[in-house]
Amino acid sequence: MIRNYFKIAWRNLRKNKIYSFINIFGLAIGMAVTIIIGLWVHDELNYNHYFKNRDKIAQVFQTQTFNGNKGTGSAIPRPLEMAMREQHSDKFKHIVMSSWNQPSYLEYKDINISKNGNSMQEGAIDMLGLKILKGVKDGISDRYSIMLSASTAKALFGDEEPIGKIIKANSQYDLKVTAVYEDIPVNNSFSDLDFVKPWDLYANSMDWVKRSIDSWGNNSFQLFVQMNDDQTLDDLNKQIERIKLDAPGAEDTKQYNPVMFLHPMDDWHLRSEFKNGVKTGGRIEYVWLFGIIGLFVLLLACINFMNLSTARSEKRAKEVGIRKSVGSSREQLIRQFLGESLFVVVIAWVLAIIIVLASLDGFNKLASKAIEFPWTNPSFWLASIAFVIITAVLSGSYPALYLSSFNPVEVLKGTFKAGKLAHLPRKVLVVTQFTVSIALIIGTIIILKQIQHTKNRPIGYSKEGLIQIPVMSQDFLGKQDIMRNAFLSSGAAIAMSTSSSPTTNVWSNRSGFLWEGKPDGFQEDLAWVEVSPEYVSSLGLKVVEGRDFSREFPTDSNAVLLNKTAVKYMGLNDPVGKLIRSDDDGEDEPMKVIGVVEDVIMQSPYEPVKQTIFVFDRHGNASYYNLRLNPDRSVSQNLETIEQVFKEHFPNLPFSYQFVDEEYAQKFAAEERIASLASVFTVLAILISCLGLFGLASFVAEQRTKEIGVRKVLGADITNLWMLLSKDFLTLVAISLLIASPLAYFFMQNWITKFTYKTNISWWIFLMAGMGAILITMITVSFQSLKAATANPVKSLRTE
Amino acid sequence: MIKIKDLEKYYRTEEVQTVALNKLSFEVKEGEFVAVMGPSGCGKSTLLNIIGLLDDPDGGSFEFNGIEVSGYKERQRANLRKHNIGFVFQSFNLIDELTVFENVELPLIYTGVKPAERKRRVEEVLEKMQIMHRRNHFPQQLSGGQQQRVAVARAVVNDPKLILADEPTGNLDSSNGNEVMQLLTELNEQGTTIVMVTHSEHDAKYSHRVIRMLDGHKVTESLLV
Ligand SMILES: Nc1ncnc2c1ncn2[C@@H]1O[C@H](COP(=O)(O)OP(=O)(O)OP(=O)(O)O)[C@@H](O)[C@H]1O
Ligand SMILES: [Mg+2]
Repeated sequence: MIRNYFKIAWRNLRKNKIYSFINIFGLAIGMAVTIIIGLWVHDELNYNHYFKNRDKIAQVFQTQTFNGNKGTGSAIPRPLEMAMREQHSDKFKHIVMSSWNQPSYLEYKDINISKNGNSMQEGAIDMLGLKILKGVKDGISDRYSIMLSASTAKALFGDEEPIGKIIKANSQYDLKVTAVYEDIPVNNSFSDLDFVKPWDLYANSMDWVKRSIDSWGNNSFQLFVQMNDDQTLDDLNKQIERIKLDAPGAEDTKQYNPVMFLHPMDDWHLRSEFKNGVKTGGRIEYVWLFGIIGLFVLLLACINFMNLSTARSEKRAKEVGIRKSVGSSREQLIRQFLGESLFVVVIAWVLAIIIVLASLDGFNKLASKAIEFPWTNPSFWLASIAFVIITAVLSGSYPALYLSSFNPVEVLKGTFKAGKLAHLPRKVLVVTQFTVSIALIIGTIIILKQIQHTKNRPIGYSKEGLIQIPVMSQDFLGKQDIMRNAFLSSGAAIAMSTSSSPTTNVWSNRSGFLWEGKPDGFQEDLAWVEVSPEYVSSLGLKVVEGRDFSREFPTDSNAVLLNKTAVKYMGLNDPVGKLIRSDDDGEDEPMKVIGVVEDVIMQSPYEPVKQTIFVFDRHGNASYYNLRLNPDRSVSQNLETIEQVFKEHFPNLPFSYQFVDEEYAQKFAAEERIASLASVFTVLAILISCLGLFGLASFVAEQRTKEIGVRKVLGADITNLWMLLSKDFLTLVAISLLIASPLAYFFMQNWITKFTYKTNISWWIFLMAGMGAILITMITVSFQSLKAATANPVKSLRTE
Repeated sequence: MIKIKDLEKYYRTEEVQTVALNKLSFEVKEGEFVAVMGPSGCGKSTLLNIIGLLDDPDGGSFEFNGIEVSGYKERQRANLRKHNIGFVFQSFNLIDELTVFENVELPLIYTGVKPAERKRRVEEVLEKMQIMHRRNHFPQQLSGGQQQRVAVARAVVNDPKLILADEPTGNLDSSNGNEVMQLLTELNEQGTTIVMVTHSEHDAKYSHRVIRMLDGHKVTESLLV
């Protein structure tokens, strides 16, 4: 029996080549998309699975309120550590202070490399479950020790034994290598942990860190914990909520109403967005979005299958009638047609796997992932089997139920027309298909438009031909004037300034200022950038009031520039000349506003520019050199010269630089990735829908061959016939457009609210999507219509 | 074997209701060969479909082998049909995608006969119908007479007690038609009951008894033997 079904299925496939191709290929594409999205979703959901304690690890977060606005972040003050240890050490297996992940120069013999790592307390090793390949497990118990990742050790020592060797960190400390641990794989937090240094060293090296030991107001550190197995997150959150608010010595911070809480590791990757102190989601939204798109694409492919199968039903009606008359029951027929669909689905699945294998590399690039095909993962194969069966049932059940319901008497009498009954569901399916496709088109256009809209915002400086050189090590202290002169006289740069944050970010926020006219109880929060006097001119900022910094004025060491937003924010009517004091009545001289600059996008291009104060850098607090390259020479020439100059002065340090425009472009990477993925899926969805439409059109044309022949004999011309055959499809697509437009509008309107700088969802998008869909439909359908319309009527009449 | 009493069948379309069978009654005994005749549209095919359990009557009773089957569910009908009834149609109704052998094999598959046994029985009946040499051909590759022989082979392969033939010679020339009638007669002689619809007085002569119908009911019944 099975063999018989199989034979019929196979012969049917071979007999109707176009139909089989469309059915199998369309389904295969749909499945490939679904598999790839499935792999991507799996990858996202498995983030941080390297850490076996992940369900017990959390980071302490803090929500504070400034002027009624709640802000949430991971930066916490140092005294929090002692408070946690004193009050709650019985609830935690580990309490681990950590610095940010920062670059460090590591030097051994003549090798000097820049690597990223954290300074952490000892518990980190056990908490993260680092796999020690060589050396000791408690490798950072001594202040002058360091643990290296395998790849860092390899880079420094090659094949030499690393354990016990002394390396120089940041040209400052001699550290003994105590252990080598396995690299933390990508797709995990801490995957860029090239080394771990002792927290103790960090806490006792820099003055500002030392001073922060009892400062509850200096939120500059991170605190990780591992809960005891019997503790729950909710309980602990209740207990630590007020720990800062109630702490003796933290009175000054009370006005910001600090609320502490634990952000569990399981949420770090996918649910790390906070709005008004509440977790609102994050990347998980994209996981959902793509998951849904994946299912939709599969649905489109299944719809093709159903549509084409039912369209072919007239041809198979006779078979059903005969089978029934020789004794087949309806159940047996249902089983036969489901079996056939299973057969086709299995073929499509094999093809889909081939497509996935062929496109995985490209997809990884597009999505910036390192997903591998899970050959050896039994759950993948189990999921595949389930997937194949579900798809087979999904796509085969309607045709199976429909075909098996034919009345044998009518079918065999030849009066059977799969007319009325089959038409409505088929139309519904086509409309569903095009609704999804058109909605995807509209959604993608809006995402692209939003990105373009944001890119078009004036950023306030000229980012082309600008590079930044990170200079965060001790070696560079006090060298900036020498270096500026050297770079300028080399001819490679025409301007150079320094700043405490890169041009494309702000690393420091300050509060606690007094100025004339400050409203009572106003809780200011200002972005703080310390810059050298050439900052404005080297970046090309625009001074709109007052004047720029100048080395001519000795008093400028107390001068500051405000951006326009800051002037508005602080409520200054006549900002130039105003004094700004620190409110901790220190002996510092007040700062004097000498000018106002146009707003500059340094942080998120999707958000309004933050109120920023640019402060004359008198302590040499430079983190970056900003160099304007000489436009008269080639970029590579300039870079070569700059590297030479750098090496002359710092022969032992590795030279690294970034193009500011590339750094700025990075800000769009996430959204652009989403946009390109969405575009690809949209194109595939359209392709699948068109394949289906093509197949359907060819069947309709075939069914109406006789009618067309008769009409032609009676004098219809090609245009009449083309209209006759295309009209129905165009109507369906038009209906889809009417359904898809409000749907897409609703969802995209919702998506776009998360941006402050919104593009408008204009009517032409819908027009364009609609015209596109109609054009594509016309092309697809016309091919078949014209073929039928131009066929020789004598021939087509003879087919009956 | 077949006992029909006051059988009724209506077809309702939007405007009119057609009475296809109007209080039709007759009997067919086991081993009989009955021809049903009448003008076009008088309800012959409708009758045959009901007897063949492909269709439901709207009224009256229908006993098959002494069992009332007019109220049977589709599944019960299918079951009864596959074990007892073979069909021969005017338009042959072979499945185009299956070979001669596979077409004939179908009823055996549905009654769950084992493959080896199937092969034996199909070959036997193909031999008998003298179509063995065409066993691997597809229906389109055969002449009309050959196709009808395959259809008869398929109808008898299961050893049904009853064969229903609806104008089996309607699409055939006279020599091919005679051949098929010969076949049916042989089958009847071996004990198979046959009910055949025909327009041809010539073909009707092969039967034992002719039932003439008009507008859905029986007008005469004449014994030929
Ligand atoms: N599906 C149907 N819908 C409506 N009326 C039908 C249907 N099938 C048959 N009829 C009507 O029922 C009556 C009997 O039809 P039937 O097919 O049984 O006639 P017949 O005797 O076999 O004719 P013929 O010799 O031409 O094959 C006819 O009047 C026909 O129009
Ligand atoms: Mg008839």
